Amino acid sequence: MRFDVYSPLLLSLLLPAVSPLIGRRVAPALAARVLTCAAALTAAATTWSLVLLTTALVGEAPPVVAQARQDGRQPVDPVPEAIGIAACLALVVVACRVHRALRAERATRRALRRLAEGQPADTELIVAASDVPRAFAIPGRPGRILVTSAMLGALRPAERRILLAHERAHLAHRHGLLVTAAALAAAANPLLVPVRRTVAFLVERWADEQAAAAVGDRAATARTLARAALTAGRARTACALNFTDRAVTRRIAALQTAPPPRLWSAAAAVLALGALAALSAADATDDLIGLLTGLLS
Amino acid sequence: MAGTESRGRAERRSAGELESEVLATLWATERPLTPAEIQTEIAGGLAYNTVHTILKRLYDKGLVLRDAAGRRGAYRPAKNAAELTAAAMHEALDRGPDPIAALQQFVSGLSPDEERALRDLLGGGRP
Repeated sequence: MRFDVYSPLLLSLLLPAVSPLIGRRVAPALAARVLTCAAALTAAATTWSLVLLTTALVGEAPPVVAQARQDGRQPVDPVPEAIGIAACLALVVVACRVHRALRAERATRRALRRLAEGQPADTELIVAASDVPRAFAIPGRPGRILVTSAMLGALRPAERRILLAHERAHLAHRHGLLVTAAALAAAANPLLVPVRRTVAFLVERWADEQAAAAVGDRAATARTLARAALTAGRARTACALNFTDRAVTRRIAALQTAPPPRLWSAAAAVLALGALAALSAADATDDLIGLLTGLLS
Repeated sequence: MAGTESRGRAERRSAGELESEVLATLWATERPLTPAEIQTEIAGGLAYNTVHTILKRLYDKGLVLRDAAGRRGAYRPAKNAAELTAAAMHEALDRGPDPIAALQQFVSGLSPDEERALRDLLGGGRP
């Protein structure tokens, strides 16, 4: 218990440290999947560790201590009281963050559903007659692709096909679910926020690679991204605070080199981090149950 | 070789995907297009009959209109539904924390030096 209950927290420092490297070196489809999986496991483990640390306060409760003294047992002190209380507060923060993330998720879903409403049933592409160049996938059954007329007008014929293939890849591989899972993991454990960002970047890379494969041309895919980014950039110059994380530039650079390999060993190592966090939490649970049954029996 | 390749890939595109491409083409051009013009516009070489069938399907769904005023056999995109969609999109975007910004967007923002680099990639000219 002593050690195991804290190790998920330590592991959640390690995962964001390795995630940028994995994002650069491993095929995006594999990297996105294992990072999301590891992040979800780690977030579940750290949250559970907080529950355990909070529960350990029961061992400090005066009636329990009195009872133990009466029975002539020395009350063990598995967790310092201060840490137990801190864990309890952290748990409240986690609950609020997850609740907020879920609400944002639902709001997005609702907004998207509204956009797909009233469209012909078996139509993939929804066009919005708008001067704002935008393109995004709307998950659902059937999944849809929304592109504004400004974006369509800015691209050349082959590039429009690449854009559609990119959005289609988001739908076919359910990237929405991966991104949501990573967002919830980051809500439950703020240390995992960088992992969430890496996953968001990787699903774009994944869709880029799929689009490049669909048309058989990586250079044309890179040019499509460049043109779309320039078009969108010009429309947004009014918004000076718009942050840029060089994501498009990095995606274009990645398309100009050979596709990264499916490094199974690196993927397995990432999964092992997540599994280790989960196992530590399970171990700590065992310890706590043993301790409490000892105290309360 | 490249030609055979792209024809091969064109054949593998599903009816739904082709529909999207024809619709996207009509939206991208400023003027109404005939099936023959769409055929030359779409990358990957489609049969004329295929284009015709797709246009008919889009017409039945009310997504494209026959250009009554202009040339015979030309089609243009139906604007009404697309304007409603645009209004709904802007409403969603304007409502506080951008729910759509949270989604996978095709592209995000650029810094000035990134913009220069991208222009160079596209051959220095107008994007």
